Amino acid sequence: MSRPSSKLPHLIVPVPADIKGRRRSGSIVKVEEVGGRTEELLDRSAYLNINANWVNAKGAWLIHVVLVFMGKIIIDTIPGMTQQISWTLVNLIYLNLSYLMFHWVTGIPFDNELHGGAYDDLTLWEQIDDGAQYTPSKKWLFTAPILLFLASTHYTNYNPWLFAINLTALIVLAIIPKLPQLHRQRVRFLTGDASGFSTPVTPSFPKMDQNPLHAANPADAHFG
Amino acid sequence: MDSSTSVALEPLLSFLAFSLSKLESGFYRIPGSAVVARYVKSSHQNDPGRTILELILVIFAIRTLLQSRTRTDRSGKHFIKFSEKEIDELVDEWAPEPLVQPLSEWEQKDLSSVPVIAGPNGPKPKLLATGKVVTNLASFNFAGLAGNEKVKERALETLQKYGLGSCGPPGFYGTIDVHLDLERDIAEFLGTEASILYSQGFSTISSVIPAFCKRGDIIVADRSVNFAIQKGILISRSTVRWYDHNDLKSLEDTLISVEKERKKRKGPLTRRFIITEGIFERDGEMVDLPKLVELKLKYKYRLILDESVSFGTMGRTGRGLTELYNVPASQIDMLVGSVANGLCSAGGFCAGSAIVVDHQRINGTSFVFSASMPALLATSGSEAITFLRNNPSVLLNLQDNIRAIRAVLEKTEGITLLGHRASPIIHFCLRTQQQSLSVTQPTYDYEAEERILQDIVDDAIANGVLLTRAKHLHGQEMVESRPTIRIAATAALTRKEVEKAAGVVKASVTRILSKRR
Repeated sequence: MSRPSSKLPHLIVPVPADIKGRRRSGSIVKVEEVGGRTEELLDRSAYLNINANWVNAKGAWLIHVVLVFMGKIIIDTIPGMTQQISWTLVNLIYLNLSYLMFHWVTGIPFDNELHGGAYDDLTLWEQIDDGAQYTPSKKWLFTAPILLFLASTHYTNYNPWLFAINLTALIVLAIIPKLPQLHRQRVRFLTGDASGFSTPVTPSFPKMDQNPLHAANPADAHFG
Repeated sequence: MDSSTSVALEPLLSFLAFSLSKLESGFYRIPGSAVVARYVKSSHQNDPGRTILELILVIFAIRTLLQSRTRTDRSGKHFIKFSEKEIDELVDEWAPEPLVQPLSEWEQKDLSSVPVIAGPNGPKPKLLATGKVVTNLASFNFAGLAGNEKVKERALETLQKYGLGSCGPPGFYGTIDVHLDLERDIAEFLGTEASILYSQGFSTISSVIPAFCKRGDIIVADRSVNFAIQKGILISRSTVRWYDHNDLKSLEDTLISVEKERKKRKGPLTRRFIITEGIFERDGEMVDLPKLVELKLKYKYRLILDESVSFGTMGRTGRGLTELYNVPASQIDMLVGSVANGLCSAGGFCAGSAIVVDHQRINGTSFVFSASMPALLATSGSEAITFLRNNPSVLLNLQDNIRAIRAVLEKTEGITLLGHRASPIIHFCLRTQQQSLSVTQPTYDYEAEERILQDIVDDAIANGVLLTRAKHLHGQEMVESRPTIRIAATAALTRKEVEKAAGVVKASVTRILSKRR
């Protein structure tokens, strides 16, 4: 009987590209992956992430509609409010608050002993459903701002400036951060300008990179 | 020409117009279609540009809604995708492998060369295999407390009073008054506020580190720390920076660079720790404690000092490096020591302020999840401390013996002595042409040197001196160190005996090395 051609490969712990061999990069803008280290992945699978699974409840879906509705009513009560400004305000406030909540704040604000900081680099969007894309909650959260935008353009007639503002806000604050291609990526400006991060070593000390078993140890861990 | 094409196209056009009108009437017959038509018309608002943009948005949204769910982050990325046929082949081919691979020839030889001692261990034990009495330069018996009569008496009394076991973890009915006595004794001995007792010496430091250092904290550690410390740092998930072995200039550079990075990132101020050993178990180097404390105070770090080897051996009465350098023990935030090495009993301790110690009663994993020490080991430890207090001359004997051994071994050809000259652990390794004194030069043949050293050990045992190689987990430690033979000096032997034993070692070395040459 012939051996199967597919051999199980050696178990190699993958090293994220941004940790090993920090070469100097002179770029102004760099897109970096965060939160992919093995020990972080292991620590995330220890418990349920209750910071992120409330978005799956149907009440959490309904609350978007309710809050937008109430916000529109409240903003309409301000004297001297035109429909254009009112809808723009509702749109912008909704987009900004949802950006703050889902894409700006990282980590879990409570219960740090459970996860040991494994979620510290991840925003709420990246924590939902353990990073799976196109789940029902994510689809709803993706569609809600679009529906709001379409409703707002239906019910008022925006002048071109307001239309542009609304559309840009929608794209930049709601659509681009939610794209699966940007999952766990961060855009960094002007990194690597100063000298490299590794510990200064006297010249006689042997290089440690030669031992393959040391590839994934925390010795070369760096900040961020 | 024009008219002919239009004549040819006429039936096509009329057919198109007919089908469109059919569709329109069909559409209006669907209930609610008028609403949709009105909605679309009012949305359009005679602005085709915006309508096209909105249409693109709608199409994008619908496309997103129709995508199927992808895998989560943690599953599957490392899984290999096999086809059904491959899975079947692998399953058919499968033969169970033994849990543990059979030992290689070298490992077998290594295992069987460990000598077995008949009767109690001590400075002159009897070997089971040959029945001969050998001089023990391998076991940690620094102050000569192994087999001490007074300690034995006290232990027997305790055994009769308390029995043997401890019945549970310290936090759950396993703490006996003798444990509290030993903790108090250690704290008074060292001059700290309190101390906490762990039941195994090896796992003490790898429990203390994760109790205080968490993810996001910064640890600055020496490259040659022992295995337990390395594991503790790994478990703690902190950010770790290493500095060159026992090089306080490199430590200072590292501390400065850590601060610079933090400022550049504008990160928050987190807890920072320096972790090092008092006397390094790997090679016997001693750290400069006053300078270390000065650096720690200057850059505002906490110091975790592992005095597993130096407690019970250094200083006038054995209090460790704090007594030797006259540094108050309150300057060291967590002083970890070993009751097993220094006091010839079992277990370890961590001494510090009351807050530090109380924190570990809940958060020290080895304290919470292991059974506490048997009572007789705790009273042996207390008795050993009393012995050290009352007989400081024992340590002078120890230092004499260390000097004697080093004097003989320094004159031996072909080996290099490592470590501080007052360290009770004396390592020596084979000398290569480069005459390097560092343990971590990579230009040697690990296996070959191990075999030569093992031959020296076997030869010495045959001639009446019990020696051992320093055993490390090859390939699992941070830094590969050169194979060495470790001699543990003891105060239980007289100077003559020690010189004789060192002479035997020297002869063995010369014999084996000349045979090899």
